[in-house]
Amino acid sequence: MFASFTFARIPADYEDLRATARRLAKEAVADRPMDVCARSWSGYDAEFSRKLGAAGLLGLTLPKEYGGGGMGPFARFVVVEELLAAGAPVAAHWIADRQSAPLILNFGTEAQRHAYIPAICRGESLFAIGMSEPGSGSDLASVRTRAERRGDGWRLNGQKIWTSGAMHADRMIALVRTSGSAEDRHRGLSQVIVDLHAPGVTVRPIKDLAGDAHFAEVFFDDVALPSDALVGEEGQGWQQVTAELAFERSGPERIYSSVVLLDGWLAHLRSTGRADAATTALVGGMIARLATLRAMSIACTALLEAGESPVVEASIVKDLGTAFEQDLPLAIADNLASHRDEPVSDELRRTLEYVTLVAPSFSLRGGAREILRGIIARGLGLR
Amino acid sequence: MDRSELAQPFERMIAGLFPPGRVREGNGWDAERREIEASGFLDLLAGDDALAFDHAVPLFIVLGRHAAPLGIGREMIARGGLGDGAEAILLAAAIAGAGERVLEMAVAYANDRVQFGKPIGKQQAVQQNLALMAEHVVAVRLAAELAAADFPDGGAMKAAVAKATASELAPRIASAAHAVCGAMGIGMEHDLQLFTRRLHQWRAEAGSETLHSRALGIAVLADDRSAVDWVRAEVFREA
Ligand SMILES: Cc1cc2nc3c(=O)[nH]c(=O)nc-3n(C[C@H](O)[C@H](O)[C@H](O)COP(=O)(O)OP(=O)(O)OC[C@H]3O[C@@H](n4cnc5c(N)ncnc54)[C@H](O)[C@@H]3O)c2cc1C
Repeated sequence: MFASFTFARIPADYEDLRATARRLAKEAVADRPMDVCARSWSGYDAEFSRKLGAAGLLGLTLPKEYGGGGMGPFARFVVVEELLAAGAPVAAHWIADRQSAPLILNFGTEAQRHAYIPAICRGESLFAIGMSEPGSGSDLASVRTRAERRGDGWRLNGQKIWTSGAMHADRMIALVRTSGSAEDRHRGLSQVIVDLHAPGVTVRPIKDLAGDAHFAEVFFDDVALPSDALVGEEGQGWQQVTAELAFERSGPERIYSSVVLLDGWLAHLRSTGRADAATTALVGGMIARLATLRAMSIACTALLEAGESPVVEASIVKDLGTAFEQDLPLAIADNLASHRDEPVSDELRRTLEYVTLVAPSFSLRGGAREILRGIIARGLGLR
Repeated sequence: MDRSELAQPFERMIAGLFPPGRVREGNGWDAERREIEASGFLDLLAGDDALAFDHAVPLFIVLGRHAAPLGIGREMIARGGLGDGAEAILLAAAIAGAGERVLEMAVAYANDRVQFGKPIGKQQAVQQNLALMAEHVVAVRLAAELAAADFPDGGAMKAAVAKATASELAPRIASAAHAVCGAMGIGMEHDLQLFTRRLHQWRAEAGSETLHSRALGIAVLADDRSAVDWVRAEVFREA
């Protein structure tokens, strides 16, 4: 079962890349308190992303002719691992680098590739993903935002929600209906590139439960799109989005969301010298899970490297990985609260409080847990 | 040698020697010893042209898939002169094999058993449990493969990772399989119990999850590296 999903090693070729990523990440977080580092995914720092671009750390898997690194998925694994382990702010390039550029490479025209990819590789162009709508979360095929042919181009009407980084982004790649109605499901969907500064676009940030505004509602009121706004073929949006989600779900990012907190807790234990039996068992159990998940994520990357689309395997890693990310703050809170006479720094407390609050989002973003398990069940031959 | 090339003849032999009927009788493996001895498999991990240790993982997965006596594996380890860590890693591989087998049994039963007018495997609650079970089975196998790579380099910490993971997940895999198979799986006559019984035994054998987790925890707390750096260096042995 899942025979090709097997242990692999990261090729040794990427050690220089790792060293550069590590140095830049360390510099970026030097003055940031732990609870700010814990916001790595949503940390917006355009200057840092441009530095990564200048150092050749973005668009690693994209062809050199478009300004990319011309390397394989392992190169991206190594760099992402360093950035997230350090808690570096990745939001300003995250989505464009991970999803939008590969999507444009795979489905876009030659002109679109040249127009968008080089700027993404320089860390100068921010994209957002416009999939979710108020009425369409897990049931993505029910989207109602519509692009209608008007003259040469399109007119866009509707609304997206939970769009990460929309307030900073230049463009959104939106999944929209170009024909038929919501009842037609997967037929009649397309992807379009929307300039978020165009007339008729309104972006309204939404605060999350920790008080941060990293995602937004985006309204389209008769927005004019040029004819070349369409990415890929009209009516092929569903197939394209499915391929896009395979990039989104298979990276190392589904393991490391709580790792800044884990290191903060380890530092606390080391400084107090506390190594009681319950604590060592807890620390070791988490380390065993981290090591196993890393092996699984690397195995998944090896499948990508071999040109496969490991949809089921990526779902396995994401579900197990997000469970680990979610268990960490609960276990750490229990461990600290069972030693009440031991002083805990404000910084660690704030980090713990933050990760505890946002942890439920880990198994929602990028596809909810139950949906992923449905994909795995199908892979087992149950549907 | 390709792993499946290696495992296939072993799989045929073990499947032939240990059909469920014979496993159920549980007379050890003395009767079968001569046949296995003659095949040369017991010496695969010994001698100058011994197999690379990571190739032992598929062999132990086969032992697990057939609920075969671990005495066979132990003999292979002893002849190879491999230490304690080896046993923990290969037990994790055996747990992966037994886990894979009970997952297959549970999936087959879920597709077969009809209640409320359709196979229970069409029920989302059952699908979700089987999906989680598959995640756990894959996790145990990857942990064993990770630990076996380049053994004995980093052997103690790798063994602890593999056995902590396998022992943590073995009982959860066993319970999930029993939940899906209903009363049928509780019967002595059904094969499921042959494998879930092993899962519980092998979980405790050579140390349970808490023992191995503590060894890891003590080592990590005595160090000053970050979690990811520690794991990369001490378990993955990356530069
Ligand atoms: C931090 C964050 C960032 C995000 N960023 C973006 C973004 O940039 N772009 C974007 O488009 N979206 C984004 N999202 C939205 C995300 O993709 C959705 O949250 C996700 O797809 C789930 O949709 P929903 O929240 O509407 O939940 P719902 O679909 O309403 O689901 C709620 C619950 O019901 C369950 N459920 C739903 N259907 C079924 C079913 N058939 N069977 C069993 N259970 C079911 C789900 O598993 C879940 O537990 C983001 C979300 C978060 C939390």
